Amino acid sequence: MKSSVLKTHPSLNRLCHNPVALFSALMISLYLALALFSALGWIATDFQTIANDRSYQPPSWEYWFGTDLFGRNVLSRAIHATQTALLVGLFSTTLATVLGLFFGSLAGYFGGRTDDLVVWLYTTIDSIPYILLVSAFAFMLGQGILNLLIALGLTSWIQLCRLVRSEFMKHKAQDYVQAAKALGAGSRRQIFRHILPNVFHIALIQFSLIFVNAIKIEVILSYLGLGVEPGTPSWGMMIDDAKLELHQGVWWNLGAATFFMFFLILSVNLLNDSLRDALDPKWHRPTSSKN
Amino acid sequence: MKVLGILVVIMVSLVSCTKKSQVNDDTIYGVIDANIKGLDPIQAADNYMIKAVSQIYEGLYHYHYLKRPLQLEPQLAESLPTISPDGLTYTIKIKKGVYFQDHEAFPARKGRELTAHDFIYSWKRLADASHKATGWWVFDGRIQGLNEWRQELSQGKVNYDSPISGLTAKDKYTLEIKLTKAFPLFEIMLALPPTFAVAREVVEKTGNEFLNHPVGTGPFLLKEWIRNSKIVLEANPNYRTELYPNEGEDVDRELSRLEDAGKKLPLAKKVVIQIMPERQPMWLSFARGELDHAIIPKDNYSQVFNGKTLREDIRKKGIQILNQPRPDVTFIGINMEHPILGKNKYLRQAMAMAINNQISIDTFYNGRGIPAQSPLPPGFRGYKKSYKKPYDFDLQRAQSYMIKAGFPDGKGLPTFRFELTNASSWSRQMGEFLQQQWAQIGIKIKLIPNNWPQFDKKLKSRQAEIFFMAWTADYPDSENFLQLFFSKNISPGPNNFNFVNRDYDQMYEKMSLLSPSPERLALIRKMVQLVNEEVPAIFLLHRVFRLPYQGWLRNYKEYPGINDFYQYLRIDLERKSKLKPKL
Repeated sequence: MKSSVLKTHPSLNRLCHNPVALFSALMISLYLALALFSALGWIATDFQTIANDRSYQPPSWEYWFGTDLFGRNVLSRAIHATQTALLVGLFSTTLATVLGLFFGSLAGYFGGRTDDLVVWLYTTIDSIPYILLVSAFAFMLGQGILNLLIALGLTSWIQLCRLVRSEFMKHKAQDYVQAAKALGAGSRRQIFRHILPNVFHIALIQFSLIFVNAIKIEVILSYLGLGVEPGTPSWGMMIDDAKLELHQGVWWNLGAATFFMFFLILSVNLLNDSLRDALDPKWHRPTSSKN
Repeated sequence: MKVLGILVVIMVSLVSCTKKSQVNDDTIYGVIDANIKGLDPIQAADNYMIKAVSQIYEGLYHYHYLKRPLQLEPQLAESLPTISPDGLTYTIKIKKGVYFQDHEAFPARKGRELTAHDFIYSWKRLADASHKATGWWVFDGRIQGLNEWRQELSQGKVNYDSPISGLTAKDKYTLEIKLTKAFPLFEIMLALPPTFAVAREVVEKTGNEFLNHPVGTGPFLLKEWIRNSKIVLEANPNYRTELYPNEGEDVDRELSRLEDAGKKLPLAKKVVIQIMPERQPMWLSFARGELDHAIIPKDNYSQVFNGKTLREDIRKKGIQILNQPRPDVTFIGINMEHPILGKNKYLRQAMAMAINNQISIDTFYNGRGIPAQSPLPPGFRGYKKSYKKPYDFDLQRAQSYMIKAGFPDGKGLPTFRFELTNASSWSRQMGEFLQQQWAQIGIKIKLIPNNWPQFDKKLKSRQAEIFFMAWTADYPDSENFLQLFFSKNISPGPNNFNFVNRDYDQMYEKMSLLSPSPERLALIRKMVQLVNEEVPAIFLLHRVFRLPYQGWLRNYKEYPGINDFYQYLRIDLERKSKLKPKL
């Protein structure tokens, strides 16, 4: 029964017929595959191999993106950095989504003092410029990938929380929730069973937005020396290296990092747009509603 | 038409004015890369203040401008000191006919003659605790009665006229100094800026403003000082006859640095020292010909050099490079209190043998560096060109030592923390390089970026496991490097390796009481050998700076320790008018 519902679910149907969505999903899968295969050691195995005699080799058939200061293959390093980016993106975004949903639903559903407290918390955090806040967290927790994704997760939940809160306020007063309440459903059942599934699309859209942001911030923090541990391949670190190399005409570290970053961020953004089109009935384009 | 005519006349005169001033301007435009706090010798602790103070004030001794290794020679003293056989009493004759620069504090505003009493007053001033002089370490505990006088002065029991047993003026031109214990390096201390002579009248007249009103005996006097902008110096008309040296190294003859031999100093009438803490504007000013010498910012290195050679376009502009081997050593330090690193000599030896030093010099210092075989840089007593350290790069031997150490391929070793002095990209890349080198023998390190205060705190509290840093000599004697391994100097002292070795301590204590002699040299060599065997530090290189200067600046040979160098410099006007338009 359930599967048939899914198959005919109009949102998924819309998504599957959107070529942009399909393209971006394919690209993201490609990145996932790159990350997975490089982590398993199937591809780009030479990312740590140093050969000082071939330092700063320009791009060639052997090294598509040239070599860096230590003669390491820049392409391999860029591929390995995909792991860092996806890991940071996925984990910090999951953390932020859980936090956003939790605080948002609490505030929206219970209102009163709880709401005051949550609103106070997120307005306080929101009043601090984002980069400064996340740098402060990263500085406090110290360097390392785990600390980085905690820092990102702890600072990225505000927008989602705000949206979920307002949706909960709206849904709480609607008939289906009132009916459930009349039938004796407790707070937990109302929240999890009834309201949450109806606001989940917001979380899904926000997920992709936070994901993009997390990847960008990881790069910025690594560039500033607050991100992943030195030695771990990271696009931010590659851009930081490029800072010292560009005036010598060595552009490939920067080139590879921005090339890989560009397509990942573009794909996630496009998928995000398609998701919003598919999930939010108000966003339907006139053409698709006619169909 | 009339207006046009006037304009033309103005334009023509302006053009001819600028041209004229270019040709006739023999002012030296120097630079200091930090703000100057004040011009009081007793507070001169950093290189920048020392450089500024040394143009105006003088001490008993200074270093020969051209000879390397540095050679002490009299400045205000007539000759090197006469030392009693027990090494405790120093008798120093002072030059006659040395006059202070003119100042309103003197009768009839004319500078008076310098006497031995001026040194006694100046050194009392250095000892006066109320001044909190940063240079007090120079004499602390070394001169009989001076520490006691310092104590009693702060209690109000004595004053500046009270005698000190260890400091007496035998006559107007003879100074006698008695030491608490023999200290063979004492005369080197007398070349340091805190010991420079100041005039009591000026100090008393100017009071708290003294640091803004320097009046010395040196080649230049202060004409103008705009804080954080520039210091303008003019030749001192009262300056005694001092001549440009007529001896130097072979390279000085090749570079025509001896052409001015025998000429009266200072050679330039005016020196403008620009204060430029930011390297980039400094470099741009230099490139426009507004500065005569400068420092190349690391990121602009390739604009000047093509690998190791000067670029053709730079060469055409007549820009010259001074290769300056630094009296320093960069090294990786190991905390000997670490339960594994400190107890396992084979492990430390293996770590030393895993590092390909030449690659690090080529990659991180553009090939500018002399591989270090010991802490002692070239020119220091005990340095021997043919000496090679026992544990140099040898990967196979390193691997076999890992087995000897009980950690074949690094099995069983934890990941060590490697402290970096800063969070710069350069520092991180250096860390990554060492990470790779040690990974070859199975040693894993985690790189920890710090800022300097954090790093310093970790060293002082003995938290650092492995660290990377450099040591530059405070004075030109091997003792300054060897004290880094003396057990009484362990953290928070300069022995950040916390290296404790009884044999070493005995040799060090013996050596520090000896004057330069074959016996002392033999001890130094033994100490170096012991340090190299124990490997509390892996010595990497002695840096070589490359300082650019304009083709029209003659006799430029800056070096750490030689701070009064502006008096030897001269502008070649002919070359300047030829080269300046090319910039």
